Amino acid sequence: MPLLSLLIFLPLAGALLVALLPRNQISLYRWVAVAVTGADVVLSGLIYAQFDRAKAGYQLLEQADWITLPMGSLGVASIDYLVGIDGISLPLVLLSAVVMLVGVVSSWNINGRSQAYFALYLLLTGTIMGCFVALDFFLFFLFFEFMLLPMYFLIGLWGGPRREYASIKFFLYTLAGSVLILLVMIGLYLSVMDPVSTAVAAGLIDTPGDMTAEVLRAVQFQLLHGQLNPAQLVHTFDWRYMANGANYLPNSFLSIFGEVSIGGVSSRMLAFWALFIGFAVKLPIVPLHTWLPDAHVEAPTPVSVVLAGVLLKIGGYGFIRVVWGLFPDGGAQYATVLGGLAALTIVYGGLNALAQNDLKKMIAYSSVSHMGFVLLGVASLTAEGVNGAVYQMVSHGVLSAMLFLLTGVLYDRTHDRRIDSYRGLLTPMPRYAALTAVAFFASLGLPGFSGFVGELFTLMGGYQSTYLPGWITAVSVLGIILAAAYFLWTLQRMFFGEIWVRAHADDTTLTLPDLTARERLLLIPLAVFALLLGLFPNLIFSLTNSTVAQWMAKFVVE
Amino acid sequence: MGIGALRNRISGSVLGVLAVASTAIGLFLALTLARLSPQTLHWQTDWITFRGQSFPLSFQLDPLSKLMLVVVHGVALLVQLYSIDYMRGDARIGRYFAYLQLFVGAMLGIVLAGNLLILYGFWELVGLASYLLIGFWYHRPSAARAATKAFLMNRIGDAAFLLGILLTYVQTGSVAFGTEPLTTAVGLCLFMGCVAKSAQFPLLTWLPDAMEGPTPVSALLHAATMVAAGIVLLARIHPMLSPDALTVVAVVGTVTALWGGFSALFQLDIKRVLAFSTVSQLGLMVAGMGTGNVSGALFHLLTHACFKAGLFLAAGSVIHAVHTQDMRAMGGLRKALPYTFAAYVVCAAALAGVPLLSGFLSKEVILAGAYWWAGQRGGWAMLVPVGLLLSSVLTAVYMARQLRLVFWGERATTETIPHESGWLMRGPVLLLAVLSVGIWFSLDPLSAHHSPFFAFMQLPVLPEGPAWLAPVSMAIVAAGGWLGFRLREPAMNSKLALASFHYGYLDQLYQALFINPIRKLANFLHRADHRAVDGLVNGLGIGTVLLAHIAAFVDRVGVDGLVNGAGRLAVGVGQLTRSVQGGRVQTYIATAVAVVLFLLWWIL
Repeated sequence: MPLLSLLIFLPLAGALLVALLPRNQISLYRWVAVAVTGADVVLSGLIYAQFDRAKAGYQLLEQADWITLPMGSLGVASIDYLVGIDGISLPLVLLSAVVMLVGVVSSWNINGRSQAYFALYLLLTGTIMGCFVALDFFLFFLFFEFMLLPMYFLIGLWGGPRREYASIKFFLYTLAGSVLILLVMIGLYLSVMDPVSTAVAAGLIDTPGDMTAEVLRAVQFQLLHGQLNPAQLVHTFDWRYMANGANYLPNSFLSIFGEVSIGGVSSRMLAFWALFIGFAVKLPIVPLHTWLPDAHVEAPTPVSVVLAGVLLKIGGYGFIRVVWGLFPDGGAQYATVLGGLAALTIVYGGLNALAQNDLKKMIAYSSVSHMGFVLLGVASLTAEGVNGAVYQMVSHGVLSAMLFLLTGVLYDRTHDRRIDSYRGLLTPMPRYAALTAVAFFASLGLPGFSGFVGELFTLMGGYQSTYLPGWITAVSVLGIILAAAYFLWTLQRMFFGEIWVRAHADDTTLTLPDLTARERLLLIPLAVFALLLGLFPNLIFSLTNSTVAQWMAKFVVE
Repeated sequence: MGIGALRNRISGSVLGVLAVASTAIGLFLALTLARLSPQTLHWQTDWITFRGQSFPLSFQLDPLSKLMLVVVHGVALLVQLYSIDYMRGDARIGRYFAYLQLFVGAMLGIVLAGNLLILYGFWELVGLASYLLIGFWYHRPSAARAATKAFLMNRIGDAAFLLGILLTYVQTGSVAFGTEPLTTAVGLCLFMGCVAKSAQFPLLTWLPDAMEGPTPVSALLHAATMVAAGIVLLARIHPMLSPDALTVVAVVGTVTALWGGFSALFQLDIKRVLAFSTVSQLGLMVAGMGTGNVSGALFHLLTHACFKAGLFLAAGSVIHAVHTQDMRAMGGLRKALPYTFAAYVVCAAALAGVPLLSGFLSKEVILAGAYWWAGQRGGWAMLVPVGLLLSSVLTAVYMARQLRLVFWGERATTETIPHESGWLMRGPVLLLAVLSVGIWFSLDPLSAHHSPFFAFMQLPVLPEGPAWLAPVSMAIVAAGGWLGFRLREPAMNSKLALASFHYGYLDQLYQALFINPIRKLANFLHRADHRAVDGLVNGLGIGTVLLAHIAAFVDRVGVDGLVNGAGRLAVGVGQLTRSVQGGRVQTYIATAVAVVLFLLWWIL
């Protein structure tokens, strides 16, 4: 069964189905969405079951020729439909499946135009899955771009008062990032050959099935020494080939020998930074983060959940898979600057969170701070750091989903998100308070919950690293103090003391209903996830270990 | 041992009984284990594994953990019994017992932990329990503030502690308790965990505020056991501390002993006196650790747990009887509360170091060790034992003053006649007072050097102190006690009294030096983020819009007859820009789709 393709195309078909259904069948749309995202959870479970943890390379590969275009002296253009999974993408696929289902259930009472809403939501689900399983750069880029459209609508149509500003800002920001990714993608494409198809084109073998290690060496040798006819070169977007330096054309734009330079800077280094910026917008990394608080504040609750829970992770995934994966030289050369950016993001995000009065903005900035740890882990170029970075993404996905759901609960009741509009919420809403406390403590890194492990291992990676100076990690540790400060201060201001709510200041018989059954259904499993991951970190590490070890091999210091 | 988080539906006292029963079983097990073979038992299993690296979940049972198992269970049992009466009628009593169980479980985790990482995990959990219990009466803003403050101050120490663990891992390749000294900086990072948890200078100001919690909680967490976790940590990492690091530990302990003692002098709240006394006594233990006297410090931990828990529980009885914590409103209570009075006197005397009581013995061991340590070094090192002796004077003074204010003299108000609490509260207090007598710890009333405690701990004992030490410290206690009794209360506006009352203005200093600047910085960055970083982005956006308008204008006026396609594109861009102000989403999307399609076309 083509599990990975189903993972992508089931939601896309679901989107089409919802769009074609008769009008005003709200509950039907909902149930279709639940069924489809639920099916994705089951599919991801099957993928998890079939995944071989000991293997390092890509698994469950599905490949189909898509576009093949002879381009004369420029060689042959080949774009494949290629999907597969490894230890880095699998945890993120699992996370996405769960968060997307949570998002649907929390969309139950979405206001108006529900047909369009659920259709777009399913479209978003499919494109997100596509991003995590695509192994062809072109295919990835397609999903990456098409993800923006539903997201743009979901914020722009169902968002808060300043939704249009926020959505266009989100769109343009990410688009600007994608243009940079696009440029590098084309550069890579022109610089990399597909050794198998090239061997066939050059007449070394008859069919791709005849490929042997010997032929591979031969074709790569001929490439290196310019013995291949340019017209027979088959260019490719396949990441597997892009990740291998032997497939790069000498004297090409992004040749691994770095012959090409622009304004005195090696084109490879420029490409590294362009890609980095493209994905850093998504994560986000300070100073490319200002779209995030606006998008979160204006987005409806489920969209915030998806945004923080899944979309940001595409940035971190891109770092590992694309930026560092294809340009290990850049990652090693600029480790100090990148680590410095990570420390800046952690501390800057934390200090900003401390100053917020809007609960959602506070959580948005805390996301910025927590994503800084992902960059720290990746930049450290250690097994601890990279494993920790993937773990931190999963952990933050679960916890931020929980945090934004909790914010939504309060907003639903009072339409007010200001922290100073509340005091003593523990009295009328003890369950809400308890789950908020769980989410806050888990997020500030209480051992036993997932947040701790992610921070621990990224920080450990920071110290282990031969690339990062010690002060970067020491500064990053301040982030865990700041996290305690802004979360506990919020807890103290909103939940302790005598009950007082600004929106009902005159109302002496105020009743704020505690969590409903549906809200508990969403929050408690997430809390349990955070606890399970925290108690058994090997649930994630056993998946990532082998892949990360192979990934690390590029950075072994000679 | 387990965590019995049951719901409020069952009546409070039933829950209390359940909690007591589970702790009693735990105590029984602890005592059984303590008599087990003196070998150290290890238990470990894989927790996190990387290629070639492993972070095991590991626990160990050695004399130190046996000692702490008994202390924690013993004090917890008495505190729970006491709480059944003390907390009776509180609507959230179920939660109270659940939090206490959480604490006991986490504390046991600390003492049994087999490596630094596991210890850190339970260390933070204990912090959570402390947070929940300090803020138990969350309606009171002061309690909520105190809970946050306690957790945050601990977080500062813990961040350094975590850093120390990470550096240990980097230096030694493992997170096990090492046997070789690490670099001084790493050792001090680890020590910072103790500084916060055991309220050492300069992170001591959370402990007096923690008194906002229910008094039995103060007895268990903030006097007898949790704050002693720092001492347990020091005992575990002692071999990893370099000589320089140990010297810093000794100095910090001495400064804390003096700082706490001085701050206790002129407090007005009965619990705050005891809190600062705890700070001072913990300083004594830390100084003991710093001077290489691990066994002595642990001995003092044990005796202190008994008499200080006794003092807190007795203070709780007083508060229960007079409904205030202000000592100025007390006085003359020795007649109304004879049992509490008797217990208080015994425990206070033990704390002050009166001979025949346990505090005298353990304090002697630490002083003798410090004196021996200083003798090895000479010079300024002598300041450590001198400082510790001076802190003993302060202890005698403030305890005598407290006894005078609470139990002697005449009662300030006569509205209600206070009366003793029930046996459930009286029993634990009296038992703790009995346990504060020296005979249980050493048959020789004037020296603990042949105490079976040291044999049990399997730790070296430092040589006995000089012959003059015991008489001198007795004289010091007598003089201090006399002073405390005779001293007239100074006006609360005298500089000395104010400095003591505000514990050397530490909190004010932190407010001015750290909290205000950080909040200012946060607000500044918030504005900068909004105006500068985001302003730049918006400015870029507006600039592009302007440019597009100009382009559209030029296109319309200047190049009217030119290629239609170019014109259309410009109109499209112009519309895109207009929508930023007008907000026409449809146009946007059309444009966005167009842009994406264009890009696709371009790539292909």
